[in-house]
Amino acid sequence: MSDFSVEPAVMTRDFEAPMQLVYEAWTQAEHLCQWQAPNADVVCEYKSAEIKSGGSSLHKMTMPNGHEMWLLTKYHELDPFTTIVFRQYRSNEAGEILAPPMPNWPREIEAIIQLSETDGITHMKFIWQPVNPTQEEAEAWTAHHAQGAGGWARSFEMLAAYLSQ
Amino acid sequence: MPKTANTYDTFTAIAEPKRRELIETLIGKEMSVGQLVEITRWNQPVVSKHLGVLRDAGLVSERKQGRQRIYRVNVNELRPIQLWIKQFEKHWNQQFDQLDAYLNQLQNKGDNK
Repeated sequence: MSDFSVEPAVMTRDFEAPMQLVYEAWTQAEHLCQWQAPNADVVCEYKSAEIKSGGSSLHKMTMPNGHEMWLLTKYHELDPFTTIVFRQYRSNEAGEILAPPMPNWPREIEAIIQLSETDGITHMKFIWQPVNPTQEEAEAWTAHHAQGAGGWARSFEMLAAYLSQ
Repeated sequence: MPKTANTYDTFTAIAEPKRRELIETLIGKEMSVGQLVEITRWNQPVVSKHLGVLRDAGLVSERKQGRQRIYRVNVNELRPIQLWIKQFEKHWNQQFDQLDAYLNQLQNKGDNK
């Protein structure tokens, strides 16, 4: 176990759709490729999809320039139609996990999706948090999240403004 | 010179609020240690210590001008961090937008609103 606890990042969204449909869009490969590709020029393809508790999936995104990005997703918990817990990794074609491209960015981030429905509107809570971070990973994460608008965001706004000059 | 195991990397370097403040102060400018001391009102050893970490991480570079050392930000070193950090939230927000559109499409809501 890690001694370095960090605050999770939380994002929420409402969808005008029944909970079951939202759940299926997240857990069925034929649905996933329909909305996960960043744009119409990127080809999404699942090589394997064992989307169940303890299962995993491997899919690739092929960019217009031919560059391939492989993503391995491990599903830790699936509870129809309320809960999906997964960890996603950059990988190679064989499903072997690659190191994050930035030093000290958490190697493992767990995403928890919680769904609830009111009057035909599905409310989604998306929680993500590093898994057993090292001290360095916890610092990198906290520097970004805990300080919010006063920390990174402000530095990066200034930097972005400068870079765009 | 080979980097030692203790060399600060980029993330560790900017995890410390004082060092981010130094970067913010230096963006688009060149300043001496003395000028930074004046602006931040921290004492000189503190400023020098943090500048040293930023320099070792490659985030600022120094040049000598007479007896002074002048510092500036290596913008190109910061750019990948900026992209990487923003990428995560942007990525998921975009994914949720696309999921929303797809759910509407599935339910054939797109046209009859």
